Amino acid sequence: MAQEVRLIPEPGSDVSQVPDEELIRLVCLGQRELFGHLVRRYERSVYHIVQGILNNTADSEEVLQESFLKALQHIADFRGESQFRTWLTRIAINEARMRLRKYRPMLHDSIDEAPDDTMDFRPRELRDWRPNPEQRLRETELAQLLEKAIRSLAPLYREVFVLRDVEHLSSQETAQALGISLPAAKARLLRARLMMREYLAPHLQQRWHHRLLDRVTQRRRYQ
Amino acid sequence: MIRCEDVLRELSNYIDVEVTEELCRQIEEHLQACHKCAVLLSTTRKTLSLVANNSRILELPSDVSQRLMERLAAHWS
Repeated sequence: MAQEVRLIPEPGSDVSQVPDEELIRLVCLGQRELFGHLVRRYERSVYHIVQGILNNTADSEEVLQESFLKALQHIADFRGESQFRTWLTRIAINEARMRLRKYRPMLHDSIDEAPDDTMDFRPRELRDWRPNPEQRLRETELAQLLEKAIRSLAPLYREVFVLRDVEHLSSQETAQALGISLPAAKARLLRARLMMREYLAPHLQQRWHHRLLDRVTQRRRYQ
Repeated sequence: MIRCEDVLRELSNYIDVEVTEELCRQIEEHLQACHKCAVLLSTTRKTLSLVANNSRILELPSDVSQRLMERLAAHWS
């Protein structure tokens, strides 16, 4: 018992430094309000992931809440065999897919059955991009463009892209979270990345009039 | 000598440094000679860096965060 008391962070201590496993242990000991710190750590990530699957803000909010409630209810079942984040991600993905199955069954079928046709995909936009293309767009414009590009992906590709390239899970964690093999996750990721690139290309490519303008500007600079 | 199709198939693994040293060497040799594959690689990398460096994508609205905490608080009180 004395050992358990020592683990509890003292009032005013920096809880953000306490590792997930220790917070979980304290929550299981009855300090349920500490679960709020785990929520703060991962709410953004879980929201990204369920948005990646559902592509709908109202559904995503409900699933976000359901995912954390479920994690709290089953926190004693967390055995630490994987990281808490992976365990939580798996819960969120299951909740999001259940939501799809319930309300949008046709879309759910497309996630389960779509083939990994990576090699059928041929990039078409092969002109080079402007140097630092983001400098020609305002920060909000760029964020909107990237968000549109992610939303344009089919659910099968959107979920893998969000896990790997927005949330930076490892390839292995991504495959585990999606419940698919590593080669399948990698094949989907390749296709997702190529489609993202294809979507962005027309907005970021070096156009002939930009090249001309750059040359004129450069010439004037040296005159 | 590997072909463009091989580079395309391994592009993601190459970016993630998940290819063998030998394959990495072959891809780099191909990239030096093939402008299209070099553009494909640089623009795919740029795509990923734009996404990674933009924290405003799929932003969590503050009211969503607040309602989440309220629902959880109601549950554990």
